[in-house]
Amino acid sequence: MGAAMAKQSAQLQMPEDQELPEEEAGRDAEIVEIADGADWNVVERAFLTRRSIRKFKKKQVPEHLVHRMLEVGRFAPSQGNCQPYKFVVIREPELLAGMEEYCVSECRRLSGAIDYTAYPEGSLKRIATKSAARLFNSLDPNMMHPIPLTATRAIAAGRFMVFHRAPTVIVILMDNHGIGVPAIDIGIVGTNIIMAAHSYGLGTCWIGFSKLLNRSPQWRERLGVTERFEVSEAICLGYPVGKPAESEIERATHEIAWFENGEKKILG
Amino acid sequence: MLKRLLFADFPVLDDPQACRFYPVEIDLERCDGCKLCTMVCPAATLELAGEKGAKKVRLIADGYGCISCNNCYAICKQQAIKARRHYKMTGFYNTEGLGKFSPPRKSFKAEPFCEA
Repeated sequence: MGAAMAKQSAQLQMPEDQELPEEEAGRDAEIVEIADGADWNVVERAFLTRRSIRKFKKKQVPEHLVHRMLEVGRFAPSQGNCQPYKFVVIREPELLAGMEEYCVSECRRLSGAIDYTAYPEGSLKRIATKSAARLFNSLDPNMMHPIPLTATRAIAAGRFMVFHRAPTVIVILMDNHGIGVPAIDIGIVGTNIIMAAHSYGLGTCWIGFSKLLNRSPQWRERLGVTERFEVSEAICLGYPVGKPAESEIERATHEIAWFENGEKKILG
Repeated sequence: MLKRLLFADFPVLDDPQACRFYPVEIDLERCDGCKLCTMVCPAATLELAGEKGAKKVRLIADGYGCISCNNCYAICKQQAIKARRHYKMTGFYNTEGLGKFSPPRKSFKAEPFCEA
């Protein structure tokens, strides 16, 4: 206690200007200059060639690689270093098939209740399902975006899968007692994992539909999801079919507000 | 809340004015019918069609749902398929701050932002 207080008061008495002369401050830190237009480095190239993979070879991922990518995940930043996650690794075909079946059946139920596009304009069923969709839309607009809606339809119609027959699925459980916004930490730890996987030549895909498993007490129990946790995301893992990581692709640019020299520029 | 429930602008999926999915551009001369793009499309909007031995890719009949991800472009060996614009919705889902499509830029020329 005394030592802690002494330390605190020492901190308070620190001179305001702690800046060291530049040559002293940087005496053991080298600055690497990167020229404008330089080639992408290894890390950048890895990010630029990562694709979401939904078609996997049957070959199972070696166990040691799964452990290795989870190790990389362990060193992800999280708010207050609270690390609000647990992992469930599933490599049992029967269990994966059961999860797929359950999520597909939930999509069918959802789709049956809200997919108004299945019925012709003016029909009673169209009016009923559209009203239901409108209600859901008002209550939870982010989940009811037209894109997940089309995915739900496609899954219900059997045109699309949830876990894409991946040989390994990593389910990320989020601790709802985490600091700040735990969902952000899930995104960061998952990014560490998928980028490590990408560096081994493995393909990954985030599966948001895995959240449907939370609706089933049976599935929660089977996967060991205790009360304070929830299935937040899942990552499908396997060797990709084809060579999806060879070329760079185009994506939309984003607005950048840039403040410098008393000026504000809007760049794109 | 009630107002939002009753009057919120709700984009109707099969209304092309409300939900604009820009179809991918397909170069049929280059397409060799290898089927890889149909397998990787996250929205399941692509299929093969045509005579046996000369099948080419095309959009499925109700082709809405393309999320402009360019997964098809990434896997195509022939560079026969490409998304050139981001999808756009009305109402709550209208996007802001999304610009034109561009490949990764190593060098950045200060260009003013313009909404796609």
